[in-house]
Amino acid sequence: MAAPKPSIIALGLSLGLLIASCGGSDTASDGTQSDTLAVDTTPKETELINVGGQLFSIPSPVQTALAIRKAGLKYQKDLTAPLDKGDVVVGKVGQSLVLGMYGADMAYVTVHKDGQRAMATMQAIEKVGNKLELTNSFDRALLEKFKANLGSEDSLLQFSGTAFRAADQYLKNNQRDDVSALVLAGGWLESLYLTISDPAAAKDQTLVNRIGEQKNTLAALVELLERSDKEKAATTFIAGLKELNALFAGITSTYTFQEPVTDAAKKTTFINSTSTITIPADQLGAISAKVTALRNMILA
Amino acid sequence: MITLASGFGAQAQDLCQSIAARCEKHITNQYIPDGQFYRALLQGDEQAEFNLTLFGGTTYRVAACSGETDGILIFNVLDKDNNVLFSNKDQGNAPYWDLAVTNTIDVKVEAGLDPSKAGSGCAVMLIGFKK
Repeated sequence: MAAPKPSIIALGLSLGLLIASCGGSDTASDGTQSDTLAVDTTPKETELINVGGQLFSIPSPVQTALAIRKAGLKYQKDLTAPLDKGDVVVGKVGQSLVLGMYGADMAYVTVHKDGQRAMATMQAIEKVGNKLELTNSFDRALLEKFKANLGSEDSLLQFSGTAFRAADQYLKNNQRDDVSALVLAGGWLESLYLTISDPAAAKDQTLVNRIGEQKNTLAALVELLERSDKEKAATTFIAGLKELNALFAGITSTYTFQEPVTDAAKKTTFINSTSTITIPADQLGAISAKVTALRNMILA
Repeated sequence: MITLASGFGAQAQDLCQSIAARCEKHITNQYIPDGQFYRALLQGDEQAEFNLTLFGGTTYRVAACSGETDGILIFNVLDKDNNVLFSNKDQGNAPYWDLAVTNTIDVKVEAGLDPSKAGSGCAVMLIGFKK
């Protein structure tokens, strides 16, 4: 099946165009297009940055936490990051990474039904969020909602996911893509740490596969961080991730396309393609050691 | 040309914000937001490309919105070999769709404006998943 021809990707144009474009254009009653806003559609070079053009999604830490629980790994609260770290961490790189780590920890303790720790983690998130001026996303109202729903795992995961999305939106709207990327990176690293730190994980093929499936995500994360770190404030961390990326290079995968099936009534498409992951045993150990070292570097 | 906005004006933010608010409604309570916000600014036949890893055993909801009403954004989900796994164009430009994934797969979502409905716009994509 042929894909649509990739075309020009524009992730941003000049302000004048933005204002016009976000308002959309009108469709005439006869169905023909009618652009009613005359704008200069020529991007101004000074307002554009050529960046390679793609947007990346980093898997939610909630998904990893759920996979850990499903695999039956023992809940280990001590694996989570110390909550007092948020009080002392300085600098936006450290604060952003720790915020992301707390987000992953929050998912981990929530799916393991440790409401008390979830509340404490949310309080720590609020503190670090304040340092990063994210009070619009992590505020007292969120804490109150959290407190009132401690018994509902689904609600806590909803609140958390919505708050992190609001923070991401705020950061991107305010040209703080570096902080946005670092928060994602901290969450991703912590999720991997929580998965890989239990020796039992290496015996669970689903979890081992899940670790291997992070290969493309890590490559995307490195690109995202390099792209956004214009102040070169996170070079040490990025260098560490690149070393980790090199360890992932030994992971191989296969993919076989299968025709998807769409159920229009349920607005669902079932994607049935198959994939396999192969991770050399010694590679898993090396990845685990590197993940731990990187995490220790953040928490030092 | 591949570009990224280096500055996002306040007015543009407000306009994209309203699209995001509408789009959020498609990620209903059954779904956990992935914690990220994706937006792109499009003109003409430009397309934004979003790269995702979809984990096996998970049902994802992808919501894609632009303009003042639903159905303005066309999005295609492709695998790494560019096989089209889903196109909302085949479903009346549905503003959201569920993807039930059997095995983990890396995909890209290409999103572009329906040329019959808009010539330019702010595209917002949101993702949620079922536990």
